[in-house]
Amino acid sequence: MNFFAEAFAWIFDPAHFAMVNGIWPRTVDHLFYTAVTMLIAMVIAIPLGLLIGHTGRGRNLVIVTTSAARALPTLGFLLFIILFSGLGLWPFVIVMVVLAVPPLLAGVYSGLEGVDRQTIDAARAVGMSEWQIIGRVEIPLALPLILGGIRSSVLQVIATATIAGYVGLTGLGRFLIEGLALRDYTLAIVGAILVAVLALAVDGLLALIQRLVVPRGVSRGMARTISTRSRRPTRLPAMTVAPIKEG
Amino acid sequence: MHAPKRNRITAGLLAIGLTASLAACSSGNPLGGDGNDSLGSITIGSQGFAESDILAQLYGQALAAGGYTVDYAPGIGSRETFIPALQDGSIDLIPDYAGNLLYGADPKATAASTADVMEALPAALEPLGLVVSTAAEAQDADSLVVTKEFAEANSLVTIADLKPIASKITIGANTEFEGRSYGREGLEKVYGVKGWKFKAIDDYGGPGTLSDLLSGAIQVADIYTTTPSIKQNDLVVLEDPKHLIAAQNIVPLFNKDAYSVRVANIIDQISNKLTTEELMSLNEISAGDSKPSPEKVAKDWLTQMGLI
Amino acid sequence: MQWLWDNRDLVLGLTLEHVRLSILPIIVGFIVCIPLGWVATRNRVARSVLLSLGGILFTIPSLALFVALPVILGTKILSDINVIVTLTIYAIAMMIRGAADAFASVSTSVLQSATAVGYSAFSRFWSVELPLAGPVLLANLRVVSVSTVSLLSVAALIGKGGLGYLFLNGYQRDFPTEVAIGIVFILLIALAFDLVLVALGRILLPWAHTVFPRLRARPVADAVAAS
Repeated sequence: MNFFAEAFAWIFDPAHFAMVNGIWPRTVDHLFYTAVTMLIAMVIAIPLGLLIGHTGRGRNLVIVTTSAARALPTLGFLLFIILFSGLGLWPFVIVMVVLAVPPLLAGVYSGLEGVDRQTIDAARAVGMSEWQIIGRVEIPLALPLILGGIRSSVLQVIATATIAGYVGLTGLGRFLIEGLALRDYTLAIVGAILVAVLALAVDGLLALIQRLVVPRGVSRGMARTISTRSRRPTRLPAMTVAPIKEG
Repeated sequence: MHAPKRNRITAGLLAIGLTASLAACSSGNPLGGDGNDSLGSITIGSQGFAESDILAQLYGQALAAGGYTVDYAPGIGSRETFIPALQDGSIDLIPDYAGNLLYGADPKATAASTADVMEALPAALEPLGLVVSTAAEAQDADSLVVTKEFAEANSLVTIADLKPIASKITIGANTEFEGRSYGREGLEKVYGVKGWKFKAIDDYGGPGTLSDLLSGAIQVADIYTTTPSIKQNDLVVLEDPKHLIAAQNIVPLFNKDAYSVRVANIIDQISNKLTTEELMSLNEISAGDSKPSPEKVAKDWLTQMGLI
Repeated sequence: MQWLWDNRDLVLGLTLEHVRLSILPIIVGFIVCIPLGWVATRNRVARSVLLSLGGILFTIPSLALFVALPVILGTKILSDINVIVTLTIYAIAMMIRGAADAFASVSTSVLQSATAVGYSAFSRFWSVELPLAGPVLLANLRVVSVSTVSLLSVAALIGKGGLGYLFLNGYQRDFPTEVAIGIVFILLIALAFDLVLVALGRILLPWAHTVFPRLRARPVADAVAAS
């Protein structure tokens, strides 16, 4: 357990913060990979999820492809692509996007699916167009689950982006990989701690945003469903937005 | 009403438990462990790249033919990992490279030639509880490699020629390169090559390193001398007149408790026939069109050499 | 395909290793999560502690645990136990929230009725709560199963990754076919495990597949209706 004390001492040594290959530059890289991945993944998953959730079509296709994407081993997929593309940012980002899309997609369409048909019919009856229904009724009501999907996705990407360090990129995974290659347990633990802390910090930030942007009536409903014992069965976990472990 | 339901669930849990215990049982040696006709069992490790897997198979198949029960633990990783694995008995034997082994065990070593390295090894390994048997003539050393165009443009022949352009180059190698005697410190001290950037690519000079070298993302790569891609891509290996990189003959490295003269004799027969040319041809077969498994590459060679 | 046939022994051996190393974590993780999930439903503090712990464990990179466990447990560096324990920890981290949700999905009135007709706490758990939580538990277990099978391949970096070996070996020899075969076989194992779980679900929870399609939460709609 001495390793942990040493690891924290290493992290809190100011000299290790801004130096070349120090904590700060690698954290910035890690966040950069995460941001690029999430941006692309959201551009793909959110419109698609809205379409499926709104029309109710293509749901089975999505369930099948998202479970297949979950089973896809990240390391193997990455190495496979690199054999064709060579090293670089894009092969890595493509693999991360494949990882990030399923929880996003599940969040969006299960959020939309959870909206009561009567509410939508009522909106239609008062003369809203389909676009207005999506924008003013379905999205606000589905927001908790959509944001939940984004959180899961980000968590998964941050935790898995450690493998960037294995394929010629940097990021916090480098501490871990350097620690392992040189059998420097302290450095390896430093890497693990920093990745976990970054993931939890970003998740906490997103939780805060979630609290701020979700409409008040909707968030009250959510608060009830996550109470220790709700009256209703919870949503089907086959469509859960729970993150899965990939790296 | 509820009784049958409970039975069903209990039965289900039992079934799961049974599967679990079966799985637990099968985690031992699937071949049934040491039979009476076996001389004992030996676990052979390898380092995480194709050549090491082939060498482990060469040793293993010869030992199996000699009456030992052999298990394999392929792809363990760098020396920093497999030395502790040898020491804790996870593995008994692993093919290694003499020079790097010596400098890993004794960072202050000075030996460069095969004879000197092999002479220095036993004493350096003694405190670690490890022993080596006879080295093969075959060598596979780390080498600094550049493309032909880059070599011509900068008139590079030896590593020392990198000195004037050092601040403009990036060297690509495995993570552990920076910490090794022939890495940053050695290049600075022995050849005065200072100020270069390092890019860690953890594939032992594999496809990623190669593609970065060919695309110009790195200018110098650490690639093993027996790697077929050097010849295939017309790469230039920079000469090392000051012996920064020590002789890297293939040596069988044992946990002291697993070493016996009988085992060493079997493996010596392989080491005696293994030249650098033979090793390169094994690597070429492995990387060739049919991509045979390390097991098959090793079997064909042993058969051809009359060793099994 | 020719390569697969020529190397069938290698692939088969690795497949068996993959199954052997991934099956225990799935089962143990599931069994551990049942009491934890049950406790989490009954106690708010326990719930938040367990869920946050799960969240933290989840973010630790697997490679770090694979390598740190021999130091923590005192096991041998190449022991199967390191990989199995690591995967079990992640299985629990992934499953804990689902298990808590599963028990929370059993309605209070059903439990009260069971108590009223004379069930003891123990028999109520086995005969009422567990079966009713079953469908949600199963659905979570399927996610854990798929993920565990896939995650094991990372352990190839420490020489214990089952089919993950083909990723590294194929990559180093610049041979995409071998990598692809590794991926396909991992997907097949994940699929096989999933089919087994679905079949077990059909046998143990025969009522579930008729309930499933109709079981749909409307938390948001409820909230709107309530407000």
